Amino acid sequence: MISINCNNISFSYGHKPSILFDGISFTYNGPGFHSLFGESGVGKSTMAKIISGMIVPHKGGIDCQKVTNIMYSTNQERFPGWQTIASHYNSVLPVHKHDLWKSMMSDFGIDHCHHSRFDQLSLGQQNRVNLIRYLLQDEPVLIMDESLANVDEHMREKIILLIKNQFPEKCFIYISHHVREVCKFCDQIVVLRHPKKKPQVISMKGQNIRDETSLDLSTLQKNMLDLVHAT
Amino acid sequence: MLHNRIIQFLVLFISGLVFLSGIKWGFRLSDYVIPSLNDIITTAKNVYIPYSRDMLETIIIAIAGHMISICMACSIGIIGRLTHWIGDLIKAGAYHVQAYPVVAIAPIIFILFGDGLFPRLLITAMICYFPLLLTFVGIFTEPVENVEHFYKSTQMLNRILEIKIRAFEHLQKILTVIEGSATLAMVGTIVAEFLSAESGIGYRISIALSQSDMAKVLVALFMIGLSTALYLTFLEKIGSTIQKRLSKS
Repeated sequence: MISINCNNISFSYGHKPSILFDGISFTYNGPGFHSLFGESGVGKSTMAKIISGMIVPHKGGIDCQKVTNIMYSTNQERFPGWQTIASHYNSVLPVHKHDLWKSMMSDFGIDHCHHSRFDQLSLGQQNRVNLIRYLLQDEPVLIMDESLANVDEHMREKIILLIKNQFPEKCFIYISHHVREVCKFCDQIVVLRHPKKKPQVISMKGQNIRDETSLDLSTLQKNMLDLVHAT
Repeated sequence: MLHNRIIQFLVLFISGLVFLSGIKWGFRLSDYVIPSLNDIITTAKNVYIPYSRDMLETIIIAIAGHMISICMACSIGIIGRLTHWIGDLIKAGAYHVQAYPVVAIAPIIFILFGDGLFPRLLITAMICYFPLLLTFVGIFTEPVENVEHFYKSTQMLNRILEIKIRAFEHLQKILTVIEGSATLAMVGTIVAEFLSAESGIGYRISIALSQSDMAKVLVALFMIGLSTALYLTFLEKIGSTIQKRLSKS
């Protein structure tokens, strides 16, 4: 089973005097849709980069089982300027996935963007086309750092349900500021808090729904309150 | 594009002539020191055929030297991008060579190779390649994180793709420095011809200097300015065509 163990992580940026993470530990167990939640500035993106190996912590480390490469996607990325969306997908995805990207673009509401260039798309469309190329990689873990930013709420929820149903064997770590969305769709929620607060990390359970009919509003409201209090 | 360059050049040239006339009038200098407008026009009529021929030779050498320096700088930029010791060695060597003024090295080149085409080409390339080198090294060593990140994550980033991404992202910078270094190429060729050559517009200027004939110098300067404006316009046209094609394809 996929597991990502963050053990005793300590880290601070050289230009900042304060410590960002002071020996924090938490674990994501199993495939599914998990979350890394917290207020702005608590270090969610930094932690995501540590998990994906882009940043080396000063102390501690990441132990993974059944995972060789953890991918990290953000809403800051761009496609090469000389390629259209279709030509880019064809160049970075194997032939047997070419039909899949077309159907995913349709599902994500961007099927009319095939022949556009990345810089011709809106921010929401850019984030969706970027996410598709990551989803179609064979790696078992994907960190989605605000990957659905600038997408309307209805489409965001539709995309999350599609991802959960289409890739049940993969592990997703979703970074978002939408409390309702995180509580509704995520299984494990790791809440990062400011370094002065103890403990700096709290783990919670979300409702982890797979379709709209399984939503329990009272549980959702309780989870949302708990999450807001935990931050 | 063309008319802008030529108007800019004509404004500059006429301003220079007015300035010289002002000096002539202010210090009551004779026509022998600073020629009258009539003398300049008469000289131009007399020398425009041999000067045009020499100008053509100069501009061809300048363009050839410029192209050589672009290729040299691009190659060293690509090699310098490598992190291993060969890249570092080439980069350090290139910077150290440029620490010497090319005009000071020029006599060695002329002693070794004579005053033919090759030394002129070499000096031209050496003078204009340093800004190109700095730009290419800067571009090829600076990651474009938000484009390269995906390729790094998926382990698809190879050296050719990396160079392609960086060159594309900095295309405007590359085109600007190529246009900027074109004037340096012209300067390099003229300096080489001035120092030691038997043809070319720089050679004509050195002869005019020995004869203290400012009218000839001014005619040569007019031709140099006009040719440079035409070459720069040509480069700008190529640059805008490349950008248009890339944005359409």
